[in-house]
Amino acid sequence: MRIPFLSMFITSPFEGIQEHAEKVKECAWVFQRAIECIIEEKCEDFEHFRKDIDKIEDEADAIKRRIRGHLPKGTLLAVDKFQLFRYLREQDKVLDAVEEGLDWLSFRSAAGIPEVLEKDFMLLVEAVMDPIEELSKMVSEARKYFSNFSEPQRRLVKNMIHTLRQHEHEADKLEDNIKEKIFNTIDDPVAVFHLIRLTEIIGSIADHAENAGDMMRSMVAK
Amino acid sequence: MTSEFYVLIIGYIFGFYMAWNIGANDVANSMASAVGAKAITIRQAIFIAGILNIVGATFIGTHVTNTIRKGIVSTEILADPHLALIGALSALLASALWVSFATWRSLPVSTTHSIVGAMIGFGIVAGGFSVINWGKLAAVVMSWVISPVFSLVIGFTMFKTITKLILSKKDPFTWSMKLSPFFIGTAFFVIVLSFLFKTPLGKKLAVGTAMALYIALLLSIGLGFLGMKMLRRYIRKSESSGEEDIFRRIQIGTSCYVALAQGANDVANAIGPLAVIYFLVKTGEVGERVPVPVFLLLFGGIGIACGIAMAGHRVMDTIGRKITTLTNTRGFSVDFAAATTVLVASKLGLPVSTTHAAVGGVMGVGIARGLEAVNFRIIFQIIVYWILTVPAAAITSIIIFKILQLFL
Repeated sequence: MRIPFLSMFITSPFEGIQEHAEKVKECAWVFQRAIECIIEEKCEDFEHFRKDIDKIEDEADAIKRRIRGHLPKGTLLAVDKFQLFRYLREQDKVLDAVEEGLDWLSFRSAAGIPEVLEKDFMLLVEAVMDPIEELSKMVSEARKYFSNFSEPQRRLVKNMIHTLRQHEHEADKLEDNIKEKIFNTIDDPVAVFHLIRLTEIIGSIADHAENAGDMMRSMVAK
Repeated sequence: MTSEFYVLIIGYIFGFYMAWNIGANDVANSMASAVGAKAITIRQAIFIAGILNIVGATFIGTHVTNTIRKGIVSTEILADPHLALIGALSALLASALWVSFATWRSLPVSTTHSIVGAMIGFGIVAGGFSVINWGKLAAVVMSWVISPVFSLVIGFTMFKTITKLILSKKDPFTWSMKLSPFFIGTAFFVIVLSFLFKTPLGKKLAVGTAMALYIALLLSIGLGFLGMKMLRRYIRKSESSGEEDIFRRIQIGTSCYVALAQGANDVANAIGPLAVIYFLVKTGEVGERVPVPVFLLLFGGIGIACGIAMAGHRVMDTIGRKITTLTNTRGFSVDFAAATTVLVASKLGLPVSTTHAAVGGVMGVGIARGLEAVNFRIIFQIIVYWILTVPAAAITSIIIFKILQLFL
């Protein structure tokens, strides 16, 4: 039975965004394990990790399409529809960057990561994990804010966005350090190109997470 | 006389059928937000809606009955008792059939519009286009537009007020407790006023406008504070309970408010034509104004309650599962907007639709950014069926009229 009153209520896109954020987090964990694997010399599971990430990315894409496809014209949301889409795009870019990083690594997986840089890369990956984990927490706290409009809750979300920005800043510093080290320790130009690009891609994960935070900031603006 | 007696019985059956349809079709409007926000269970909702529809129908429901009957269609056509009898019967059956069809096909129609359309059909076939009071009809059409808009404005204002005064505060629980007399009192104010104006009960008391306002104000202040006392007794402040808990309790009250308003407003749709039949059979003529007997209103109220009892469970079940994003503060705003709109409009003698008032309320809260996702396009769907309902009911009414003319 369809009731006219009911057809006004449609599934909240925030549910999808939350799901999507969870996928991003999942993806990040796989990414971290894959990098650890590469560093541990004999990495047999690398292709396996790549497939995992591909799969998660597909699922996340489906969620993204579902959100975009199920907001009919004339839907009124707690936030502007296009703000929401912009946020989603930025959150999706985080995922894309993770996937791209792994793909890039696979093109030259035999060479792996030089021993001198191992520790630095581990640190960088660790540093970009923080903002990603913060992202899904931020989404759930923001949802709470949209339901109770409480000022302390809004401040909480704003603080999380601030933390996100700080994480990005730290990741940036690490990125710069690694780049400098690459140029000063590696002589093989091909390796330099591969590693520099890899550093940039990993760094961009944190950038996109920060951008997502900025989008969220505009959504919780009064 | 005997044939007219049969007509009266048929009239009762049709009237009951129409009332049943109203109950089955409109129960969602009064109880949806309360059930959706988990303020009450399905069982409680059906019980409350049933009882209060009867109460609303019997005690507040008289005024509208007159307007629908005589406002739009000129009384000339009622001069011939035989024609009037057939007309009232066909209008009743036509609107009931159309509402049944709409319920079956889940179209967002209003029972109010159906009866208005059916009356117009009868008017046209009995006296030609000249008997239709187009000016009055335009006013009624305007009220269909005004009621969702009015409800939207109230819903918006109410939710914004709650956001400003309660939700955005540091301690929303304490604030909502402090302000609860205001919310409860405002609801009571409208209810008391509707009781005092133009109900049989209010007429007996015979109070003037100023006096009525004064009484309503005093009563609502008293009841508002009484409500707060009860809230304080039942809800202790703790980690788990917040402002939503307070509004959950208040919402039980407001859903009663909607059910009451609904009964008062919608009973006329079934009882208006039935009252015409009743008077024609009893007295042989219909005067300018038909004082609707209380027992007819009660009869209509019971019909609505039966419709709620029989169809309500399925409707509520769907609502409970589908509307999950509605919290109690939102539900309260929606309920308050819908009920106030319906009560005020029915007191002004405008035939408003509870469906449209409820939809307007949800939209108001949606515009206030209170809901994660609301589909606005339903308004276009509703407009289409506004336009469709009146001619559809009118044509059905004409056909039934012609058929009945062969037999009676």
